Amino acid sequence: MTAVTADAATVRPPLGRTQAIGWFVVVVGLFTVFGMGVGTGSAPHSTLTFTPIDVSQGAPWHLGNLTLPTEWTLVLLGALIVALGAEVLVRRLVKGAMVRVGLMAIVFLVAVLVWASRQPGPSQVPFINVTAILVGSAAITMILIYGSLSGILCERAGVVNIAIEGQFLGGYLVGEMIDSATNNWLLATVGGVVIGGLMGWLLAFLAIRYLSDQIIVGVVIVTMFTGLASYFNSWVLTPYPNLNNGNIATNLAIPGLMKIPIIGPTFFDETGYFYLMMILVGLVSFALFKTRWGLRVRAVGEHPQAAASVGISVERTRYVNVILGGAVAGVGGVAFAAIQGQFTPSITSGFGYIALAAMIFGRWRPSGAVAACTLFGVSAYLAYNLQSYQVPISTEILLMFPYLITIAVSAGLVGRVRPPAADGIPYSRE
Amino acid sequence: MRLELRGITKKFGSLTANDHIDLVVEPGQIHCLLGENGAGKSTLMNVLFGLLQADEGEILIDGEPVRLANSGDAVRRGIGMVHQHFMLVPVFTVAENVVLGFEPTRSLDRLDYARAREDIRSVSREFGLEVDPDATVESLPIGLQQRVEIIKALGHDAQLLILDEPTAVLTPQEADALMGIMRSLAASGKSILFISHKLKEVRHVSDVITVIRAGRVIGSVPPSATESELAAMMVGREVSLVVDKTTAAPREPLLEVRDLVVRDDRGLPVVDGVSLEVRAGEIVALAGVQGNGQTELVEAITGLRHVESGSVLLAGRDITNRSPRDILDAGLGHIPEDRQRDGVVLSMSVADNMVLNTPRRPPFARRGTRNLRAVRDHAESLVESFDVRTSSVDAPLSSLSGGNQQKVIVARELSRPLQALVASQPTRGLDVGSIEYVHREIVRVRDEGHAVLIVSSELDEVMALGDRVAVMFQGRITGVVDPSTSREDVGLLMTGSAPAGIA
Repeated sequence: MTAVTADAATVRPPLGRTQAIGWFVVVVGLFTVFGMGVGTGSAPHSTLTFTPIDVSQGAPWHLGNLTLPTEWTLVLLGALIVALGAEVLVRRLVKGAMVRVGLMAIVFLVAVLVWASRQPGPSQVPFINVTAILVGSAAITMILIYGSLSGILCERAGVVNIAIEGQFLGGYLVGEMIDSATNNWLLATVGGVVIGGLMGWLLAFLAIRYLSDQIIVGVVIVTMFTGLASYFNSWVLTPYPNLNNGNIATNLAIPGLMKIPIIGPTFFDETGYFYLMMILVGLVSFALFKTRWGLRVRAVGEHPQAAASVGISVERTRYVNVILGGAVAGVGGVAFAAIQGQFTPSITSGFGYIALAAMIFGRWRPSGAVAACTLFGVSAYLAYNLQSYQVPISTEILLMFPYLITIAVSAGLVGRVRPPAADGIPYSRE
Repeated sequence: MRLELRGITKKFGSLTANDHIDLVVEPGQIHCLLGENGAGKSTLMNVLFGLLQADEGEILIDGEPVRLANSGDAVRRGIGMVHQHFMLVPVFTVAENVVLGFEPTRSLDRLDYARAREDIRSVSREFGLEVDPDATVESLPIGLQQRVEIIKALGHDAQLLILDEPTAVLTPQEADALMGIMRSLAASGKSILFISHKLKEVRHVSDVITVIRAGRVIGSVPPSATESELAAMMVGREVSLVVDKTTAAPREPLLEVRDLVVRDDRGLPVVDGVSLEVRAGEIVALAGVQGNGQTELVEAITGLRHVESGSVLLAGRDITNRSPRDILDAGLGHIPEDRQRDGVVLSMSVADNMVLNTPRRPPFARRGTRNLRAVRDHAESLVESFDVRTSSVDAPLSSLSGGNQQKVIVARELSRPLQALVASQPTRGLDVGSIEYVHREIVRVRDEGHAVLIVSSELDEVMALGDRVAVMFQGRITGVVDPSTSREDVGLLMTGSAPAGIA
């Protein structure tokens, strides 16, 4: 009987968690210093280049190549990571831990690039092109942000939209077909709004009218549209290939701004969908947190009974938001088509789920989602392209990265994320 | 505002929740609606607040018939409601909660926070309800959250306030403060409709008391009516308001707590060296304002919370930090504080809830297979002997009233072989009839020679039931006194100061 004493305790305050995160960050930093940095003497230099590959009109001002001493750069970056971890440990950060882990991930990605580009001498051709990486990542990031914004619009009103993947697929298919038929991306976008909105309406209808489990309905919608898309592909797109001509949208460069090295090609030499995405981020942020509309939406997502008790229609609010969210994801699908080209049934390859993960990591806020999407976008881009840089890291491992972070975040390992209180819970008046 | 209800009738299927209810609330009046749980009070309030539509009857405001299709209509007509479960968004600020649904805006639909704050301050000033408009609601204590609910109603310019069981969640001090607020609101001309089943506070604050039972108005009486008259009107028969019990004949100690230290979720010592002894054949009642460690003490005794140091002995056996199952099997009965969360599974049947902590024990199961007939027979005999009102033992527990749910727990705990019983807030939320019943059962357990520990924040209950009264303040026992001690002295112990002549 005396064997059962204090050390059998499991009920403990969660102080250890912060420490675990802090130590994890420190270990990553030490690995950067000693595992990657120290001992790169045989290949002492890393060279980065900034010259963009394709520009729509006129190149930005030229930046010379940057040659760094590999060992010292890695030691410095590693020390930075160790400092981040130490800060978490010393200041016992709980809320700020998530931001530190995000920063760690960014610094670590830079360190991987530096390490991957190490070469024996400064004279050799550099092969890490920073601008190209950023431009490529920006495209993926844009798609993810459309998805995250869709998720935020739905979940802030209390409906989980796990069907973003399906709405991407729907938008992609419809957008590609309309553009192929009319050669007009504006019409294609309208088509994306309509199909995404319809899919949102279907989710809302089942979730609100029939109080179905939103996760299950969402998965069903994705599965159904995956099947439908395959069917369309076999029976429409294959016999009529001119409905899937794979044209991509031309970039609309912003004169002047596009001349800025690195930033110009990344942000100001993009398709219209990129600029639309930036406008939407600002708009959703403003609407959710500054307006009467946003206050009511958030009230519905947090405490629908309270909202109803002051005369706000919970059902209508949820319908509107889920349809809006679907439309945004639909446009995201069209944007995907506009940069990727030909439709194939597996083209969206899980981007809808990564977007959802980014929404969680970004704490259901547009600004947070943008940060998380950027992190996930860069790592996804590297995952697809690192092999061409002959880096001995397998693609699959890097592709797991967003999901690993999401698991850590939603399990409460990093900071504290709190979804809207009524998220995913069907609402019914007594 | 003068409110009149004429012949309000509301049916749910075959059940008539409100049967031709007539009621008049005069301007500046505090009108109490008194009735047992399930008498139809909440239904009537929901009709009045537009959340439900009456099948028959009409609502008149200042003599004019009105139609209230939703709560927005009710609010526009000057009716404000303070719900029992607050209608506040915990993560919003006070200002955001107060303006929700009636937001002042600037251009582009932007919220006008400056005006919202100013509106709240002016309501605060007018009625003496101080609260910081920028505080997040979840960071406020319950009493202040309720104040926010009241400000919210007043901010929408309510002339009639409905308060639904407002004191159920409050400490005695907060309840007193609320009574003061109600009086000053009435003095400024607001009408108040106050729903309660607590006789004492009703007599204390009301101008008129209307009693309803089984959906009908039984009558209206002035607050000078005695508590037993009110109780009889509520229940429909004479009820005993004093606990009938003989002098205790305590024997050997059965439940012993020694130097117990327990930490709360934040790691602070909420139980800080408590020693307590409950002997066979006596009731020890633990008094104290809620949040002084009583909850954690009970959780530690019943194995639901880790004991940092010290020990708990049941009939001489050390049960410190054993699993709840071991502790229950050792003979500790537990009636938990939050019965719906910790005591029952609402979606399961009455029969399954009756064996919730003995499902594997013969005859309810053999070799891992449940014997459903034995479970049913057991439940039927308990329903019979404990007078549980249910349509069948197969009905889900959620279909029972709060009092009958509590009877299921009492029946389950008392039908097992027991050494000691720990009961937290055993009558919270129960009506007079059920309270009488639960008290009688607790005394019966004592008289059978078990040790009983009662934790209650109702001082009346503590003084009526306890053979000895222990008072807890900030994690320590500040005194163990005889129940004949004056309420004032016990009250002093509850605030940590020792009255003269008491160690």
